[in-house]
Amino acid sequence: MSTAVRDAAAPKYRVRKHDQSWWASLPWIGPALALILAIVVFPAGYMIYNSTRKISQVGTDLESVGLKNFATVFADPALPRILINTFFWVIIVVLLTVVISLALAQFLNKPFPGRTLVRMAVIVPWAASVVMTTTLFYYAMDPNYGLFNKFLVDLGVLEEGFGWTKNAVPAIAVSIVVAVFVSIPFTTYTILAGLQAVPDETLEAAKMDGAGRWRTYFSVILPQLRSALAVSVLINIINVFNNLPILRVMTGSIPGNDADTLMTYIFKVLQFDRRLDLSSALSVVNFAIVLVIVAIYVKTVKPMQEV
Amino acid sequence: MKRTARTSILALSTASALLLTSCGFSGGGGSQGGEDGVTTLNMLVPTYSTGTKTLWEGVIKDFEAEHEDIDINLEVQSWDNLEGVLKTKLQGNQAPDIYNGGAFAEYAAEGLLAPASDIASDETLADFQQSFADAETYEGTQYALPLIASARALFYNETLMKEAGVEQVPTTWDELYEASKKISEKTKAAGYGMPLGSEEAQGESLIWFAGNGGNFGDAEKISVDTPANIEAAKFMQKMIEGGVTQNDPGATQRTPMLNTFIQGKVGFAYGLPQTAVQIEKENPDLKYGIAPVATKDGSAATLGVADRLMSFKNDGSKSAAVKEFMDYFYSAPVYTKWVSAEGFLPTTKSGSEQLDGDQTLKPFLDLLPNAVFYPTTNPAWNATDGAFKSMMGEIATGKSAEDVLGGIQAKADAASN
Repeated sequence: MSTAVRDAAAPKYRVRKHDQSWWASLPWIGPALALILAIVVFPAGYMIYNSTRKISQVGTDLESVGLKNFATVFADPALPRILINTFFWVIIVVLLTVVISLALAQFLNKPFPGRTLVRMAVIVPWAASVVMTTTLFYYAMDPNYGLFNKFLVDLGVLEEGFGWTKNAVPAIAVSIVVAVFVSIPFTTYTILAGLQAVPDETLEAAKMDGAGRWRTYFSVILPQLRSALAVSVLINIINVFNNLPILRVMTGSIPGNDADTLMTYIFKVLQFDRRLDLSSALSVVNFAIVLVIVAIYVKTVKPMQEV
Repeated sequence: MKRTARTSILALSTASALLLTSCGFSGGGGSQGGEDGVTTLNMLVPTYSTGTKTLWEGVIKDFEAEHEDIDINLEVQSWDNLEGVLKTKLQGNQAPDIYNGGAFAEYAAEGLLAPASDIASDETLADFQQSFADAETYEGTQYALPLIASARALFYNETLMKEAGVEQVPTTWDELYEASKKISEKTKAAGYGMPLGSEEAQGESLIWFAGNGGNFGDAEKISVDTPANIEAAKFMQKMIEGGVTQNDPGATQRTPMLNTFIQGKVGFAYGLPQTAVQIEKENPDLKYGIAPVATKDGSAATLGVADRLMSFKNDGSKSAAVKEFMDYFYSAPVYTKWVSAEGFLPTTKSGSEQLDGDQTLKPFLDLLPNAVFYPTTNPAWNATDGAFKSMMGEIATGKSAEDVLGGIQAKADAASN
């Protein structure tokens, strides 16, 4: 009883103190908070709201339909193929990117004349607009006047230009090449930063203990790259999963949904079917999948944990 | 350190303040009749050719010189992006006061458009040819002003025909198949250029469907999977599977395909009056001819396209200014100059009289009476159009004609409810 009385009196004091610190901190966190609310929370909330509405093709909000849009989306016969495409697209791109970047970072970490220039060159694909890079590849692959096709025809490998971007499987393969190409700079630099943080003492110790090169790499260097790798893999997964520009340019002209990932499919539902409600529902699904991936990743890899 | 923290907080709060003000959800609907009495009209148009923007700018400059109280903001978009941009504007309450587009019925159905009588004088309205004016009517009211008309015709490459030993310009499907086959086999070029990619799959499809007496339905009902259309789609499939078209027709866009025709690498292709203008400019040495569309039994049919100008009424305060512009634009000298520069056929009586003797336009003008048009007065047409763009190419990837047309029909039906 007595504790209850004390508790009843206590909050007054506590609230005031809490109030004060809240007001004191507002000028500091306020702008960031407003920014997050305006550009992250509000659009995401609006998207979820839209996914439960029936919206006319012109864009007028007609009525609430509950979860009917989700039922339509999940009943779509094209969805399984799209999810499978998305899965392979993400896995292959991220895997190739990380393996190539690991090698590249190792190379860039060695001192050699002209290293700064080479390091700068690695950034170029990162600095260039993705749409521009992709369009360049797209034109090179054109069956009639593409440089790449002309090269293969001149070499005698092909008899006539092949429509690399006109058929589902080769178009996705070409997109993967471009995606890896534009993902490498960021990944390489993250890993390079990680490599530079590896203390020389550990390498010397490994040498003293008689570890070979590969042994040193896999048992000493790689474990210390854990946090750098964790960050770059996670960011790459999200980026590649949500990638629209590359796939839209490369696979945009392919009819039907054989070459679609979830992201390009959302775009097609919006562009061709003009269904804002259905594409919002698909976006919510997309959002949920990314959240689940991130959750699983954080749970199993524990990127925040120290080595 | 302290200073940088303060500066960055300052920067952040400025940025968020800017963001909050510019992110206002409903937007202001553009500038209204301002304090100085100037009305600003927002105009959204697509590009018909590389010269479209300059042409409109010329019209607007001359118009503004005559009407100092009206300003026109011109925005030019590609056909690919046009309707996406319009949709974004509609959602943000920034609907253009003057809009040049293909479909209008769904906007009329939602009550977004100003009736034609509000945006053009009686004299201007009376000058339109009746058949075109009728096509702009939704539930008894005319909402749009016909801007251009166009018809397709068969372009053939004479050099390739000679090389392959084709003597007659094909007039039926079977003749077109045989002629294309010869060209494919005996020359390095493709026989027939069939663009079924997302750019204009609906156009290529309707040319073939019309050749079998088919169409896409009418104002009440979209009908895509009819027996006549399926038969035509099957013949298109025969062309593809027989290897007489270019490679990957399902993913081929129209503009690049016509470019290869202009370069002399395709035997036959359906083109517009503009194609002739483009050949004149880019490859005048090309030996080609223009003939009527090849149909199943040789009877005349083609795809006609009519695009239109319309006005989103917003709050209705700008109708008078829009009317001034429309009356100015549709006056015979201004309109005829615009239409002939773009290589289209005029929709007004006075314009037709002026362009009567034009040699390039003649073959197309002759085809116009037998043209089949898109059912643009049907509110479900936009969805049907989108379904054609995303799905029609599948007839080139082994899916049956019935399944593909059935799928498009299903999308059209879903949009009709």
